[in-house]
Amino acid sequence: MKTASQLTYGEKVKIDEIDDQHPSSRRIIEIGFTPGQEIELINKSVFNDPLAFSIRGTIIAIRKNEADCIKVS
Amino acid sequence: MTPIILDKTSLITLVGSPNSGKTTLFNYLSGSNIKTSNYPGATVEYSVSKLLNKFNITANLLDSPGIVSLNPNSPDERVTIKSLFKHPKFGVPDLIVVTVDSSQLARHLFLVKQLLACKFNVIVALTMADIFFKKGYKISVEKLSKELNCDVVNIDGRNGNGVNELVKTINKNLKETHKKEKIIPVPYQNVDDKQKLIGSYAEIELISDKVIDGIPQNGKQINLKEANAQLSILHPDLKAKNNCYVVDKRTLKIDKILLHKFWGLAFFFLIMAITFSSIFWLAQPIMDLVSNIFGFLADEALIIIGNNWFGDFISTGLITGIGSVMVFVPQIMILFLILGLLEDTGYLARGAMLIDRPLSKIGLNGKSFVPMLSGFACAIPAMMAARTIPNKRERLLTIFIIPLLSCSARLPIFALLLAFLFPGPKAWIGGLVMAAIYILSIFNSVIIAAIINKFSKSVIRETDNSSFILELPAYRVPKIRVVTNNMITSARAYLRKAGPVILVLSVAIWFLTSFPNYNPKLSTQNHTQQGENQQIQNSERLASSYAADMGKFIEPVMRPIGMDWRVGVSLIAAFTAREVFVSSLALIFKVTDQSDETLQNSIVKAMNDAKIDGTGQKLFTPSTIIGLIAFFLFALQCLSTVAVSRKETGGWRIPILQLIIFSSLAYIITFITVNGLRALGLA
Repeated sequence: MKTASQLTYGEKVKIDEIDDQHPSSRRIIEIGFTPGQEIELINKSVFNDPLAFSIRGTIIAIRKNEADCIKVS
Repeated sequence: MTPIILDKTSLITLVGSPNSGKTTLFNYLSGSNIKTSNYPGATVEYSVSKLLNKFNITANLLDSPGIVSLNPNSPDERVTIKSLFKHPKFGVPDLIVVTVDSSQLARHLFLVKQLLACKFNVIVALTMADIFFKKGYKISVEKLSKELNCDVVNIDGRNGNGVNELVKTINKNLKETHKKEKIIPVPYQNVDDKQKLIGSYAEIELISDKVIDGIPQNGKQINLKEANAQLSILHPDLKAKNNCYVVDKRTLKIDKILLHKFWGLAFFFLIMAITFSSIFWLAQPIMDLVSNIFGFLADEALIIIGNNWFGDFISTGLITGIGSVMVFVPQIMILFLILGLLEDTGYLARGAMLIDRPLSKIGLNGKSFVPMLSGFACAIPAMMAARTIPNKRERLLTIFIIPLLSCSARLPIFALLLAFLFPGPKAWIGGLVMAAIYILSIFNSVIIAAIINKFSKSVIRETDNSSFILELPAYRVPKIRVVTNNMITSARAYLRKAGPVILVLSVAIWFLTSFPNYNPKLSTQNHTQQGENQQIQNSERLASSYAADMGKFIEPVMRPIGMDWRVGVSLIAAFTAREVFVSSLALIFKVTDQSDETLQNSIVKAMNDAKIDGTGQKLFTPSTIIGLIAFFLFALQCLSTVAVSRKETGGWRIPILQLIIFSSLAYIITFITVNGLRALGLA
């Protein structure tokens, strides 16, 4: 299944589920990444990590490995 | 009979998600009597203030660090949240005012719901309603108040409209709570149940749907349901309710440049270079002014009190001591002014994001970036700034390497040593070498961080999930009041933390360098000038002082690195503050103040003439000078830093390790440098 870390610039997708095995998954949900929400990859850091997503009207930067726990379709 | 408590000052705590406008609201509500201190037993900073007098309420207003939820994610958040339920000093808040950014309603209601679930007495302050209004939406205060079952007030961020309304609501609530029984908040269950968290968002979305209305534009009301229906046809999966949650367009445009693959990095270095150089060039004239004022005061005190031990104590011990604390205030204020501007515009979060990847390779975090930057002004505020790093291991490692970054106190020392190496017309080479020294200090800190990280199990002893989750807030024009308040708070924190330590130490050093032989007998040579006589007496006093005894005691250690007891004394004296090294050298090498020379030139001249006792050998040669530069690059020559490191790391282990590792490293590297250079034929 595709995760948020595999998105390309400007690709809009819907969150399917959050992998709750990841230690950061709770904070990721709390900050607004919940199933059903639409996210878009807005920016990448110069070194391709962290990634910046638009979510619920704001931009959140998270590391690539953290973006991996966001399953999208 | 139960006593009726009438006089208990109410406690209002301000809570809010990061970037929800909490600080701005705190500035509107608080007077100039803001005090910042740590939560007892931990290093989380809070501000407390009385409510503005004009509001006519006696209440303490407590600001708290921004939190996303009541589930703590880091040790710092744990303390913040624990203190929210029962502050060790102020107790349970009578009232909690939660700031909620209108355009972030859903995300910020998450915290509100948790607070309400804990049965706190809550008022919601809807901030930035003006910006949301411009986007074409508004939140119905009445509906939201009904949905949440608590009071809701609109606050305009630009002009503070609505603050009076908020105060009225606070007043009303406080009166009601005094009638009621004392609230006992229910601790928030540390839920790891992701489904519950997701469920909480689902409830919030229903509320958000009900309370957000489109504003009539061009006489036509945006009908959410209609828009919803239209959108559903185009994108069956999407719902128009999300339409009010769109990212600021201007922010996206600016980010296209500032986070660009190439330009992003270029801007990053440009902004760093400007910040960095203004710490020096902008602050220098003010620092000179401060040091001149204190020099003048010290001279005046000596004239008024008279040239005796008491006058000397007031002049050299106290006034010069206070001066050595004050001289760094301009630099610290300028640094925090720039950092405040960068933070308030929203750039700092982007800077942290850009640098996260390289820093994470050596066990640091993108959030280590600001503390490291502050380290070039002074290690003390830098270590305090490290509190923003959520991961404990990364925070401790950041604190660990901060003393390696060349702080401003080392500037006068390097300037003197380079003036010796590159005199007169070659001074421009000295300037280039100075820049190289700074780059070298960054390089050193990176290398040491990488090495310490390898041994982190035995040195740092903390493991934690390394994480970088950071909101990149919308760009906006900085609020001068917020920025200046931040600057003043930082300067105050520095003065309170470092001030007493440096003062006590400088009095101690004054004593050690002045006694027991305060009035040495002078050999009856023909010293015609009174001033010169005085200088020689000063040097004699130092040469026979306790500090000199200590210097002679450590001479066996100084020999292998090509130094003698006189340099040893200056190094001991430099423990109060590094720049004392220069004035101590001046004292010990009997530098007489000749009006046509600058102090630096006189010292350089005296250093050129200095010989090692009993031999004709020169004491200061290029190899020993380069050795001294290497020494100051590594040595933790600052007891205030040690004190702050203990406070910030919560124990003696890390500061003592820093002291041992950096001092022995300084010694070994100086030894290798001096003897290596000599072996290569450099004197």
